[in-house]
Parts: sequence; structure tokens; C-alpha cells
Amino acid sequence: MNNTVIWNIIRFFVLVALQGLFLKRISDGWVTGSLYINIFLYPLFILLLPLQTPRTGVLLLSFLMGISVDLFYDSPGVHAAALTAMGYARSLFLSLYEPREGYKLNARPTPGDLSMNWFLKYSASLMGLHLLVYFSVDAFSPIYILGILLRTFFTFVSSMAAILIFVFIFMPKR
Amino acid sequence: MRGLLQLFAAYGNFLLFGFLELLALILVVSFNQRQGAIWDNSWGMATAMFDQSADWLGEQWALRDEMIKLQGENIRLMEQLDNARYSNAVRQDTFLRDSTEQLFTYIPANVISNSTIGTANYLRLDKGSNHGVRPNMGVISSDGIVGVVRAVTPHYSQVMSLLHRETRIKAALSRSGYFGTLTWNGKNARLMQLEAIPKHAVVAEGDTVVTSGYSQLFPQGLAVGTVKSFDFSGGGNFYNIQVMLRNDLNKLRYVYVIENEMWKEHKELDEAVNE
Repeated sequence: MNNTVIWNIIRFFVLVALQGLFLKRISDGWVTGSLYINIFLYPLFILLLPLQTPRTGVLLLSFLMGISVDLFYDSPGVHAAALTAMGYARSLFLSLYEPREGYKLNARPTPGDLSMNWFLKYSASLMGLHLLVYFSVDAFSPIYILGILLRTFFTFVSSMAAILIFVFIFMPKR
Repeated sequence: MRGLLQLFAAYGNFLLFGFLELLALILVVSFNQRQGAIWDNSWGMATAMFDQSADWLGEQWALRDEMIKLQGENIRLMEQLDNARYSNAVRQDTFLRDSTEQLFTYIPANVISNSTIGTANYLRLDKGSNHGVRPNMGVISSDGIVGVVRAVTPHYSQVMSLLHRETRIKAALSRSGYFGTLTWNGKNARLMQLEAIPKHAVVAEGDTVVTSGYSQLFPQGLAVGTVKSFDFSGGGNFYNIQVMLRNDLNKLRYVYVIENEMWKEHKELDEAVNE
């Protein structure tokens, strides 16, 4: 148990640093504006929190994570708003996609411990929600709806690819 | 306190979620230039719109008060007109000439339903027996006559519109004084027919048609409309006159119900004759 907590703390800092120092530069430098592509990896922290994490904890951690990323992006509150929404929705989707026999004790929410199909549904739903909220709050007006949807779509594709790569490399089957 | 705790136990996560989102959005609009500008703009627009609707609402209320006041004022003036007063004069040179009594009084009412389609139209007013409305009272608007009250309840009354196939209202040509009967053929809501004007009367297009005052329902000389066209088709000894109504019953809103203060005497006379 203690091990899990430490790993999650480490993952928190690694993901914040990765997002703020590296992935932000990629979207800033290579493809500014025109292609609408960003890579958001940090929501993976919320995705990979242990299944038994209390909902209150998930909410507080998502807000904290969002604010931390906001510090790098110089956009106070935007990532926090989106990630908090995702943190709130997490338990809803967890119960929606719960396997018929329930979640196994101490299972991690990864493709290795559950199934690839399950993880894809779970991460795609939450990432879609997160990105939609993020770009909505970022644009802050419904008149940019087309831009919001395009950005959500392209960023969704690139972010899902990054998440799957990360999960396959660092969360192998036990 | 217990209730509060239970509330938090049940909805704590949702409340926390709402609180965190609110906090995040406050941060967004306070520390991000672009979102802050959009927020300020939208907020300004929203408050301006709210102010506008509040103003509009206030105006409507003020107008309503003004409307009621004006209705009262109109009635006071209408009741002072000669055609609303009964004259006791028997000889023009006596002091009795100035001795008149109130003959017609008016009750203000609002039209709450109305129809002008079909051949039997009724309208409904928001005043009833509680306000002194009785069956067989005339109804007018500021532009002309409207109909006759047929039935009343304490708060509402049903008025047979002029636009009814059974309408028979005595009307006169104001220039020549010949009188006939107004009827409606059910075709055009602005046109009525004036019947029984004898052939020897002089009629011209544009002549004013007024109430005759023979029916005790309407004061004498209220304008009804103007002669639009006339002919002798049908071959009788009477004109067929098309009368263009002065008031448009399609857009009726405020009306006055006419009370004849001496209706009891008329009734007594009618009964005495019928015996």
C-alpha cells in the first residue's frame, strides 16, 4: 500500500515536469495554432490512481494537479477546471464500465491488470471529457465551437497515443 | 447541525466538485487576460440586458396604471356628453333646460377572448355581475360599437359581437337622419350591411353611419362607420348599403360596457304594452 502511494507521488511530479517542461514545448514550438495539436499526458495521473481512492481525494488531487500544470502554462485555473471535471467523472465511468464480476482486489486501472478494451473505453471517455472542458474553458465562448471541437479531436488523438505508449512502457502486466 | 452533516455525507463530493470548479473559474477569469476580457464583456452585456428588461417591466406596470387612469378619465368625459344624459327640458326657454339626469354610465372592461371568424362571433370581457354588468347592455370601444352582452357570471361576461349573423342594431345616416338596421352577412370583418333605408332617402358614399339611440343600448350619435357602397340589387324599395366599420374588431383590447340607468322604466313600459 505504501509502495503504491509513493509511486503515485513520484508519478505526480514526473508527469507535471514532463508536461510542463517537455510536452508544452512540443506544442508551442512545432505546431502553433494551425494544426490544433497538443499532447496532454498529465491526466494519466488521475487515470492511474488506485481504484479504491476516495472520491474526495481524487477531486482534491485533480485540482492540485491541474493547478500545478497551470503554473507551467501560465493559465491559472484552466487546466484545474478541466481536470477537476474529469476527476469528478472518474468514479461515474468506473462504475459504468465495471466488469460483471466487479473489480479485482488491488487491481490497477491499467490494460495489464484489467483488459485493453476496458482501458481504452475508460481512458477515452475521461480524456474526451477533459479535453472538451479544457478547450471550452480555454476559448471561453460558445462562438469558438468549431475551434473547440477541432482542437479537442486532434489533441485527443495525440494524447491517447502518448498515454498508451506511457502505459505500455511503465505499467507492464504484473 | 445533524442535517448539515447528512447533507455533506450525501452530497459532499458534489459540493466539493462545485467549489473547486468555481475556484478554478474564478482563477481563470481573474488571472487570464483573454478569458477575463470575454467574461467582463459578457457580464456587461448580461447586466445591460437585465437592466433593459427591468426597465421594460417597470414601464409596462406604469402603463397599466396610466391605462386604468385614462379609462376612468374617458368615462368621466363620456358621461358628461349630451348623449349620455337624460334631458328634463319641456320648453326651451325654461330653467328646466339645464336640468338633466344621468342616462348612460360606463363600465371599463378588457377583452380577454375574441373571434372574428365564422358567422357567430362572441367576445369575453373580464368584468361581470360583480362590476354591474347585466345581460343586454351595449358594449363600445373608443372607435365605435362592439356588441351586446348576452350572459354574465360574477367575474366575466359574454358579449355577442357585431360580427354575428343575428345582429340587429338600429343605425342611422347622420346626414339625412334615415334609420335602418345593421346586419352582418358573415363575409368581411370590416363590412356590415345597413338595411331598410327607404329608396327616397339621399345616400352618398362616405356618409357617416351612427347609432340611432332608438334601442336604449347605445347613446345616440355614436359613430359606427361610413357608407362604402350602395345599390338596389334585389329589386326592392330599400337600399343595400355596405358600411365600412370604424373600429377593427380584429384588434380589440379595451372596451366600455354601457349601462342605461333607466332600463327599469323601459322594462315596465314594455310589460305594460305586452299585457
